[in-house]
Amino acid sequence: MPTPLTPLVDQPLAPELLQQLQQASALKKWPLAKLISLFENKNPDAAQIRHDIARHIQQHPQDFPRNARVIGFTGTPGAGKSSLIAELCRKLLTLNDQIAIAVLAVDPSSQISGGSILGDRTRMHYGKKEERLFFRSQASNLELGGVSEATFQATRLLRHLFDLIIIETVGIGQNEVDIQFLTDHTFLVMQPLAGDQIQFMKSGIMEIPDSFIVNKCDEERLARTSYHMLRSSLKQARLVDLHAQDNYQNAARDQIFLTSALKGLGIDTLANAVLNIPQRRTAEHCESCYLRKGVLRRYGEFGLKILKHEMNLLDTATTFEEKEVAAFATIQRHIIPRQ
Amino acid sequence: MSDKQAHIIYDKEGKPSKDAPWIFRTYAGHTNVRKSNELYRSNLAKGQTGLSIAFDLATQCGYSSNEDIAKPEIGKVGVPINTLDDFAILFDQIAIDVVNTSMTINGTSMWLLSLYVALAEERGIDLAKLQGTTQNDLIKEFLARGTYVFPPDQSIKLIVDMYEYCLRKIPKWNPSNVCSYHLQEAGATPVQELAYSLVTAITVLDAIRERKCFNEAEFEQCVGRVSFFVNAGMRFIEEMCKMRAFTELWDEICQQRYGVKNPKYRLFRYGVQVNSLGLTEEQPENNAWRILIEALGVTLSRDARCRALQLPAWNEALSLPRPWDQQWSLRLQQILAYETDLLEYPDLFAGSPVVQSKVEELKAQARAEIQKILDAGGGVEAIKTGYMKSQLVISQAERMAKINTGEQVVVGKNRWMDGLASPLVGGNDGGVFKVDPESANETVHALEETIRKRDAAKVKACLDKLREDAKAGHNLMEASIACAHARVSTGEWSGVLREVFGEYRPPTGVEGQTLSLENEKLQQVRAKVQQFMDQFGHRPRIVVGKPGLDGHSNGAEMISVAARHAGFDVIYFGIRLSAVDIVQSAIEENVDVIGISLLSGSHNEIIAQLMNELEQEGARDAIPVVLGGIIPQNDIPGLTALGIRAVFTPKDYDLMDIMNKIMDIVLEHKAHG
Ligand code: B12
Ligand SMILES: Nc1nc2c(ncn2[C@@H]2O[C@H](COP(=O)(O)OP(=O)(O)OP(=O)(O)O)[C@@H](O)[C@H]2O)c(=O)[nH]1
Ligand SMILES: [Mg+2]
Repeated sequence: MPTPLTPLVDQPLAPELLQQLQQASALKKWPLAKLISLFENKNPDAAQIRHDIARHIQQHPQDFPRNARVIGFTGTPGAGKSSLIAELCRKLLTLNDQIAIAVLAVDPSSQISGGSILGDRTRMHYGKKEERLFFRSQASNLELGGVSEATFQATRLLRHLFDLIIIETVGIGQNEVDIQFLTDHTFLVMQPLAGDQIQFMKSGIMEIPDSFIVNKCDEERLARTSYHMLRSSLKQARLVDLHAQDNYQNAARDQIFLTSALKGLGIDTLANAVLNIPQRRTAEHCESCYLRKGVLRRYGEFGLKILKHEMNLLDTATTFEEKEVAAFATIQRHIIPRQ
Repeated sequence: MSDKQAHIIYDKEGKPSKDAPWIFRTYAGHTNVRKSNELYRSNLAKGQTGLSIAFDLATQCGYSSNEDIAKPEIGKVGVPINTLDDFAILFDQIAIDVVNTSMTINGTSMWLLSLYVALAEERGIDLAKLQGTTQNDLIKEFLARGTYVFPPDQSIKLIVDMYEYCLRKIPKWNPSNVCSYHLQEAGATPVQELAYSLVTAITVLDAIRERKCFNEAEFEQCVGRVSFFVNAGMRFIEEMCKMRAFTELWDEICQQRYGVKNPKYRLFRYGVQVNSLGLTEEQPENNAWRILIEALGVTLSRDARCRALQLPAWNEALSLPRPWDQQWSLRLQQILAYETDLLEYPDLFAGSPVVQSKVEELKAQARAEIQKILDAGGGVEAIKTGYMKSQLVISQAERMAKINTGEQVVVGKNRWMDGLASPLVGGNDGGVFKVDPESANETVHALEETIRKRDAAKVKACLDKLREDAKAGHNLMEASIACAHARVSTGEWSGVLREVFGEYRPPTGVEGQTLSLENEKLQQVRAKVQQFMDQFGHRPRIVVGKPGLDGHSNGAEMISVAARHAGFDVIYFGIRLSAVDIVQSAIEENVDVIGISLLSGSHNEIIAQLMNELEQEGARDAIPVVLGGIIPQNDIPGLTALGIRAVFTPKDYDLMDIMNKIMDIVLEHKAHG
């Protein structure tokens, strides 16, 4: 039987944390990094702190004018996600001299030791300090779904501090479905002519992405054939109406982007598309998805059923932590009498 | 007329004879051009016939001595070269039309060859007389050695440019030298050494053939110019078999893939440096025996004897060798060649069923591995995908695990560790070589002088031409030679080509790697990790950083893999980062400890930079820093004063001991912070 969560108290944010939060909203990296760690923290007492921070942000909206859009990059391992994100960020930072970007890159954890080697930074290295770009590696922590709970938690904070959050998922291909709970837009990155298109069709992952990127299109010819192949598979699978011309720019109209991170091709088009992505999901939407995930993990389908009937109990909850406490407590009440 | 006897070597006239010894090489260069010139002249005066030049890391990586990134490295592990004026001093009073010059240079080999050509032109020497080698094997740089400058495709293009130029203008020059030496030092098994270096040769020759700049006869000649630089380790029987396998496989490839008819052009010509990875810090005097045994592997058998041999010194794991240490190793070669009867016999192992069977096994396995790589797109592709690199990391991790468990015995390290103190390290210098830090000023000053005196307009015009030619895809030799004459600097030449070609960071090969090591110490450290997680709500996080130009990645890779095995979340993103990169990553990732690995001798300068950077970010006392690598004992107090919490050197080979110590430091730091 899962233990109930400790009840939360409403209290002002500790001065030290307040200062960190203020510095973080000015994009100071060290305090920001520490705050992210608090959001990633798995200890029960961290929930109270997160609650305090979330409350503070809610109550001082004027201090947190930013409201990030969240974009996901998923796809086969080695397709060039990290390289592409690096090029994309470089381009975005020059196209828009105000934009602040946070990147969360998730890599797999070892099944045996639980540890991990997080290597996405290899591609993101700029060789200088870039104030408007923040990069954080996360371990998948053995969770299925391609993104970890920590990723969700970090976006809760980062969405108030940045204009754009980019998430790179573990490149496992099959279990990337969770990413859609978090993002306003998800790109599926693949390599040209790898035959993996067909694989994707079967795995159901095709349903998730909002658009497709064929990376490593280093030459025009390769780009063209890849576009044709993907386009015809898509046509079959989704019966979509595809019409664009087969070059780097026009393919984007079909939400197929042809890029080469290596040669910097197609990055402009992609960057402009990214800048125009609208916000589609609210923070509340993400939170309720993760709340359901948490309930499912602890109490199974039974818990979800109760949650569905007792949704109104969450109305008064202001933060994710409060929702969790309320939801778990309610479900717990339903279980205990039967024993 | 008596029959010829099987145990006698006969010369062309049928008279009994004896082989000439192989070439004795000493790899040398340090401090600055003046000091290195003195050293070369004294070596030549002693009867040495060739020069083997070591360059400093800035020169190797394409930076001039006046750039910040170069400063900690000037003259440390080799001689710094900025302009033609430096070359004039380096070869002062040395007859470059006579002497054979071998340069250990890769990313910038076209530049160094251009300087050499320009020097010959200024001296009025016929270029056809120049002889020597530029190492120029970029595939192994991406895999093991780390002094690449441009991305893989462009790197190969430059190599092909040099073959094209050399064959026409300096026919006695070896434009590149395929290296398996470094692969073994990065962990390669004999089969990997065979396969990856032969793939390298194939990659280069295929690229040359593709350019279609040679007719058939010229191409054959080109194949004939390919020479090899190989390693020889402690398993000396297997190593001898490996050399025979090399010879036979190479002949096979030359015939089957390239249709080379002239047997002369199919000869497997190779030089050797014996294994240094296995030389220990503990009981360093034992290394003398190891070096001797390793030398046997490549000298015993006449059919697979090296053409040139270079030996490390007994104090390999302590620091660069001093002149006396080099002399001691040279004497080994002289004794072997001149006091023994080694050179009087034909091949001792020809016809041995044991040797033959082993050779066949190695060949079969190597062929399969070569085919696998070629099927997956070839050598350049296998660099980009990280396939070869990750295989090397796996082998190195297996080797480390076996030493850790005692399965692989290393005398003085994991067996018979108690010994009497070695008198060899007792001298005032602790048995190590040190470069005078003041000497770098001379180099920087000379560069400033050259810049002041040279014709700036001409420099600009030459660099513009280089840029244009690079963009147009032309052969870059002529433009580079013109730059050399105009006193362009190493950093300027590389800078222009970086601008056009871009830069590249190869895959690190460590992701997903595991260590097959299960012991009590592992359980101990995992318990500490668990304790940490219970207390602080997350896994301990470590950044493993390689700041500066040092390319020795083995240590950082093994520490990363070991830390993951222990349960850390490890952030590792390759070699050649700046102190700023590493501090930024440590901060953004909010790590619990920073682990720095440095082997090139620039630790004092670079750690000072790093601590300063941490200070500026307000994180100096917040994140503990540990250091590992080749760190002389005498430097440790200074590093501790800078704030380093622990220093690990090669004698700390037990990976879980290291992890336990790091966890102790992390836990203690958290408790007091
Ligand atoms: C292997 C090797 C190479 C390989 C490197 C392959 C690779 N990818 O790593 C190759 C052949 C490419 C190479 C090249 C060169 N090498 Co080298 N190389 C060595 C050698 C023989 C062994 C180093 C090694 O890998 N050991 C195995 C690893 C696992 O051990 P380790 O790194 O010591 O790490 C252990 C500990 O030190 C500690 N540790 C290390 N780092 C860290 C980090 C952390 C966080 C922690 C906790 C612990 C820790 O834990 C590890 C586990 O036990 C040493 C001499 C020696 N025997 O030590 C020379 C040596 C380091 N090389 C040397 C030199 C000069 C060079 C060159 C610069 C030569 C030249 N002029 O061109 C080149 C250029 C390389 C470059 N780009 O920088 C010198 C350095 C001189 C100095 N410091 O004064 C040495 C000492 C040899 C010598 N005596 O001259 N080298
Ligand atoms: N030719 C070519 N290679 C590319 C391109 N983009 C990336 N690569 C290479 O592909 C390899 C993998 O790139 P990454 O960016 O690490 O790929 P990833 O999808 O993030 O990989 P994981 O995070 O390990 O799943 C690297 O060797 C890159 O250099 C491209 O546009 N063209
Ligand atoms: Mg990646």
